[in-house]
Amino acid sequence: MSREEYQVPTGSGSPTVGGGSFNAPAARDYAGEGGGAIHYICGDCSARVPLDKATGIRCQKCGARVLYKERTKRMVQFEAR
Amino acid sequence: MPHKPPTKEELEERKIVGIKDETITHVSSSDFPGHYPGEDHSWDIESFRRGFSVEFHQNDPFEASFSLIGIDASIANAFRRIMIADIPTLAIETVFINNNTSVIQDEVLSHRLGLIPFKGGHEGLHNFLKWWRKPTDESEINNSYYDNNTVSLRLEIQCEHNEKAAAGETDPTKLYKHAHVYARDIEFCPVGRQDKYFSGADTIAPVNPDILIAKLRPGQEISLSMHMHKGVGSDHSKFSPVATASYRLMPVIKIERPILGRDAEKFMRCFPQGVIKLEKVTKKEAAKKGSGYEGHEGEDKAVVADPMRDTVSRECLRHEEFKGKVKLGRRRDHFIYLVESTGQWESDAIFLESVAHLKKRAQDLEKQVQNMVR
Repeated sequence: MSREEYQVPTGSGSPTVGGGSFNAPAARDYAGEGGGAIHYICGDCSARVPLDKATGIRCQKCGARVLYKERTKRMVQFEAR
Repeated sequence: MPHKPPTKEELEERKIVGIKDETITHVSSSDFPGHYPGEDHSWDIESFRRGFSVEFHQNDPFEASFSLIGIDASIANAFRRIMIADIPTLAIETVFINNNTSVIQDEVLSHRLGLIPFKGGHEGLHNFLKWWRKPTDESEINNSYYDNNTVSLRLEIQCEHNEKAAAGETDPTKLYKHAHVYARDIEFCPVGRQDKYFSGADTIAPVNPDILIAKLRPGQEISLSMHMHKGVGSDHSKFSPVATASYRLMPVIKIERPILGRDAEKFMRCFPQGVIKLEKVTKKEAAKKGSGYEGHEGEDKAVVADPMRDTVSRECLRHEEFKGKVKLGRRRDHFIYLVESTGQWESDAIFLESVAHLKKRAQDLEKQVQNMVR
């Protein structure tokens, strides 16, 4: 299956591919820690920075102003070819 | 004029591919019906049996060299092609990536994982494991994985700072934990009956545990699971059981007139080591009229020691002093194979399997032809 054909699994969070006893390890739940805050990655020190609506865009550890989005929590399937 | 049967020398000569300084002669075999008037060359199992032999030169688990003597190029080539493209092996086929924050892209990582050769219990790999076929209905794919057609693997690794690292350390492997991801970090997850076939020494593991898969830095993580399936090299070369499976023809070096003294030493240096050796001209040889050795008793002469080691570089044909004294060639029906296994099969078993495979294919064809004429 090419990447374009890939269908996003409907069940939120738990991957459906490899069902039965072949379950892929469940995707870790990144959200839900720190209630409502979204985690970003600091561009300088690569620490995980929780941000909510009120806080400014700034790393709490090193003060850097460049933050990156985290990678998708969804499982992505590839052919080893 | 009545037909004169060929002498032994003539029969030998027919098998030789001539190698001249700039041309190659007598490339095709001529032992087929109608080529030589009055001679019957129709294929016959008895005469094939009499002329055929197998000779092993080296038989290590992962590298074998052997000769098939007295066989046609078409069959020899069929074995080679079957070994490369038709012997099934187990390899990683699908990768489910949960997280990959390393610098290596998901696609590239998956491709690299697919190329890693794995080993495991032979009984389980060759008999217990069956083919996996992708179901025509895509929604049925989750019901197509069974313990006898899918092997599950996992790779979970995170890179962290190593607190115990010495101050001023610059080596990333000492400075961080899991800075390098190796093939040995892949974990086998047995399912169902797989425990019975793949446990202890028979567990599914990479043949070479030190294959570098990716490099990480603190905070980076790879978390994925993989499915392995059986496949053949004609589908993808990662399924090929051999690193190389090749053959070459047996070189023939014929010294027609004596090469003596300093010429002999120079002649020896025209070939790889061990092909030509030097011997002293004996009293008996020197005494023989017309042998070319007269008056050279005790001098060095060049003698062919081991033509199999020759690479047929034709270097000796470039020199004026050897003109007309040496003939190079190759034996058309002597195939020297070199089979190097990637580790899942024993190298000699790959060849035996290719013979079995060709036999099965021939029997299938026979059945089809019989159905056709019925």
